[in-house]
Amino acid sequence: MMHSDIKSRPAYQALVPDLAGSRHLLVIEGDALPPGRLATLSNTFAPVADSLHTWLTGAPAVEGIAGKLWQLGSVEDVLDTLACATRGYGMGDRLYVLGTEPFLWSVAGAAALIGFGPGQLQLEHAGSLRRRVWCTHCHVTTENVTTGIVACRGCSRHLLVRDHFSRRLGAFMGVMVDAEAPGEIPAIEEVFA
Amino acid sequence: MSIAFKPEETFRGDYRYRNSDAAILRFPFPFPEDRYMYSVNIEPHTRSGPSDVYLHAFDVDEHYIAECRDKAITLERDPGRCQVLPHMMMAQWDTLELLMESLSADYPALFSLTKEGDDFGSLWTWINRPLGIEQRFVFGDAETLPCEPFEYITRQAQGDFAICDQRDDNLYMDAGMVTSQADWSLEFDVGMSFMEWHGPVPLAHQTGVFERALKYLLMLRLGQPVRRLNWTMSINPRLDTSPESYPEWGPDRASVTPANAGEKVHLRVELQTLWRLPRSNAILFPIRCYLASLDDLARVPKWGKRLHRVLSTLPPQLVEYKGLTRYLPAALEWLAQRDDGAELPVGTAAGVTRLNAPVSG
Ligand code: HEM
Repeated sequence: MMHSDIKSRPAYQALVPDLAGSRHLLVIEGDALPPGRLATLSNTFAPVADSLHTWLTGAPAVEGIAGKLWQLGSVEDVLDTLACATRGYGMGDRLYVLGTEPFLWSVAGAAALIGFGPGQLQLEHAGSLRRRVWCTHCHVTTENVTTGIVACRGCSRHLLVRDHFSRRLGAFMGVMVDAEAPGEIPAIEEVFA
Repeated sequence: MSIAFKPEETFRGDYRYRNSDAAILRFPFPFPEDRYMYSVNIEPHTRSGPSDVYLHAFDVDEHYIAECRDKAITLERDPGRCQVLPHMMMAQWDTLELLMESLSADYPALFSLTKEGDDFGSLWTWINRPLGIEQRFVFGDAETLPCEPFEYITRQAQGDFAICDQRDDNLYMDAGMVTSQADWSLEFDVGMSFMEWHGPVPLAHQTGVFERALKYLLMLRLGQPVRRLNWTMSINPRLDTSPESYPEWGPDRASVTPANAGEKVHLRVELQTLWRLPRSNAILFPIRCYLASLDDLARVPKWGKRLHRVLSTLPPQLVEYKGLTRYLPAALEWLAQRDDGAELPVGTAAGVTRLNAPVSG
């Protein structure tokens, strides 16, 4: 479920071009794309196609995509490309990101560093609900978590994955599940498929 | 006024923290009624109130030296407990100035500040007698202090501090010195907005408490600080109940029995004040933590009884959120023996000037 009572959990919305922008950058995690979503996106973004660049990661079949297409290997390539952006981004730029939550917040974080404000950014969730989990004890993040309890990659403690979310870290909080009664670890179940 | 400091106290390991009778009597007991629920409990910080802790801008008490030492230990182990985002330098100086001016005005026997001018570039001399510090520095020039100004001054103050930057009609937690928190992580929260960092709190969002509190704070005025009390419970008089160190203190929650609850279970009250800062327009949020065991509190009969009633009717979401689930039954059993059910007057005042004899230990 994407809904949560915890207010730090971001709400995501379907991307729509912001006509107040003068240049548009659409960044898509190819592996997270539902069938047919690329085509509907292209329609939605048709009005700004002349000033649109689309960065697509992974290798999905591309047919009739709006704007100028760039294919990038992975999220790391997206981050590098943003970080070494030779062309200056400014007030007129709009960034639209579509993908899993770790992807969205990795890109959002890199964009914030080069000056994108909240009003210039839209995020749409697609694909798996798997989470990036930040360990409150050793501060190491564990990627691609689909279970409600996960062993931390850094300190091996079993962490309960809470809904509390940090945009800066792009991660959910993980807290040792058996701190009060060492060894009492509830059954581990898949919940973020 | 002279304060008898207790530098030998500890807040971990052998827990040599104790409250004197005077410290118990001035405890900021947070429950005016037999039931508790979240509300927008904000009032002017007027230097008066039902306890002595309200008399000064920043309360200094008998635990001052020991608390500053405990803070230094925590920072040594985890330097990330102090974080300041780069755009907060002005707010750092605002904080240093507010603390130095308030402490030296309120406690002239303990602290002194001599200024050759009020503006950036003036030479200031700060003397902290309890900690044996004398520091000459140039106000506005961080190079002339041993560390950045926010860390420098908050290491010499009891309690935690957050600084909230105000922009886009919101508050952002863009700096903090957090070594005695009730289970929240600065490293996780830094940079968050008011609603985000309050995300995990149950019920209060739904009843509009945070919306109204934020509106109120955005209009906070210079020279008109406000305050509120918050509370939770801790096992042992431990200041560092952070999520970072939860593996260390979590097991203590399983150690409580009806026999030892009196000395193990502590009411943890936070006196939170809110100050508009003059140059940065940020808000300083000091969180001053007071700890008293059930043994301590029951020596004021009204407090022991009231705590029993509040805890036995606490909404289950709050029990869970505050982490009381595992030991609440034992604490209630202990408290029930000290509650005769008599009607209690509304208000937090102790209603006595002398304490009953200690009940256990
Ligand atoms: C602007 C400065 C403030 C800061 C930096 C701050 C910070 C925090 C933090 C970090 C938490 C812990 C959340 C968690 O579980 O992770 C918290 C809890 C809470 N805050 Fe605030 N807060 C501020 C102001 C206020 C105000 C003005 C109110 C007034 C209603 C308020 C009401 C609460 C309540 C009710 C809780 C839950 C506490 C409990 O049950 O133990 N806060 N706050």
